[in-house]
Amino acid sequence: MTDSQDEAPTLEGRLRRLEEILSQLEADEVDLERALGLFEEGVRLVREAEGILSATELKVEELLSGGATAPFAEEDE
Amino acid sequence: MADDVSLDLFDGVDEDPAEEPTPPSAPPPESPAPEPRVWSVSQVNRAVRTLLEGSVDALWVGGEVGSWTRSRQGHCYFTLKDEKAQLRCVLWRTDADKLPADPEEGMKVRAFGSLTLYEARGEYQMAVQRLEAEGAEGLWRLAFEKLRRRLEGEGLLDPGRKRPLPRYPETVGVVTSPTGAAVRDILSVLRRRAPWVRVLVRGTRVQGEGAAREVARALDTLAASGRCDVIIVGRGGGSVEDLWAFNEEPVARAIAACPVPVVSAVGHEVDVTISDLVADLRAPTPSAAGEAVVPDGAALSRQLQALPPRLARGLRGTLQRRRSRVDEGMARLRRVLERRIAPPRQAVDLAMGRLERGLARALDRKRVALSALAGRLQALSPLAILERGYAVARTPEGRLLRRVEDFTPGRSFHLRVMDGTVEADAVGPHQEDAT
Repeated sequence: MTDSQDEAPTLEGRLRRLEEILSQLEADEVDLERALGLFEEGVRLVREAEGILSATELKVEELLSGGATAPFAEEDE
Repeated sequence: MADDVSLDLFDGVDEDPAEEPTPPSAPPPESPAPEPRVWSVSQVNRAVRTLLEGSVDALWVGGEVGSWTRSRQGHCYFTLKDEKAQLRCVLWRTDADKLPADPEEGMKVRAFGSLTLYEARGEYQMAVQRLEAEGAEGLWRLAFEKLRRRLEGEGLLDPGRKRPLPRYPETVGVVTSPTGAAVRDILSVLRRRAPWVRVLVRGTRVQGEGAAREVARALDTLAASGRCDVIIVGRGGGSVEDLWAFNEEPVARAIAACPVPVVSAVGHEVDVTISDLVADLRAPTPSAAGEAVVPDGAALSRQLQALPPRLARGLRGTLQRRRSRVDEGMARLRRVLERRIAPPRQAVDLAMGRLERGLARALDRKRVALSALAGRLQALSPLAILERGYAVARTPEGRLLRRVEDFTPGRSFHLRVMDGTVEADAVGPHQEDAT
């Protein structure tokens, strides 16, 4: 119940929005002011997506009976 | 007690079958016949059974399956036969349950077991512990094909059911043994390619009695958590029997019922299981499943880096296109206006031409008429009359003097002749009646 990413758009959501923005900008179905807005939004989304990708530690959890999760203990070898 | 007796009964039979059998305590034929020793049926059967079980080691017997039946309790009764003979067999439930499928009648099999005797019927039979179809994986293959056909009939293997995997999953579910090689392989691939994703593992046994149900339950549980965007189910390599859970119906059903796409990764590349067929994607190995479910982070980063310039180009393009669109609009407007102006202008040109030509023609006509008039005028001119010698008298004021009485004596008047005017005075009347 505490998925911190629930409210924020996901990586997929951001990338999809980026595709929309690009196709609109490149197809030129927008007026100038809107094009400027799209450009700024696009740059922001790229920065956010890069932020997500910069994560370095894979988060691995184990789903316990009852729905709770616990860190997954990997066997080292 | 009875055992001892029966053992005595057959003593020596195995040891020296060539020896002339001598009836126990045979009385001389000539002596009066004593009562013979009578054995009960149970005693004999028990004795034969003991003899059979004690003298023949467990063995493999090959043959064709005839008349296979499975009782309500799960025991299987069948015969093995060749062209000349048949052998009754029984496969008790505990061993029968290990069969992936019941063999079909006529199938060539080999059975491992011990010979025994069913005392109640006095029939000897083989108690089979293992049954294998001839040829590699025969019964496994048979079971696989049976289930595959059934699932196919239900449409569960339709290519149209396969869902595309999410391109950028947030959370990857994994159903496998928590201690196996598969989970290690999957995690190491995810760590390398997409360390930003979350992984949710639901551990389960993947082989042995009841493993199929456990795998199915684990998959259900993970799916029900609602946290996964895609789920990998599988295990590392092993024997056909090790992998068998993934060829069983519960796993197939759980995969088919899973609300998010499922990637099946069982064993090595050559192992194709039912779960592979039902899953949305079959990965040849667990590592390959890891590769399939997440994008490559490095490649994605490169793509992202290329985006701001592309966005800028798009914006610039919008500007340029806007400008050129204005130019284009102007040009179009000009063309439209010209098109709309041209026809009237041409009409005016045309009309002007017609007007000019009309005027010219009218002028010409007038000129002709004028010269005709001029000729007639000439003919009518009084000067022409004067030329013929007539003169016109007029008062200095210009009044015509026509009659004698107009010329009072002494009156001055002008006389107009052909080439001028002469001043004259009237002298007196010279009445001339007849003219």
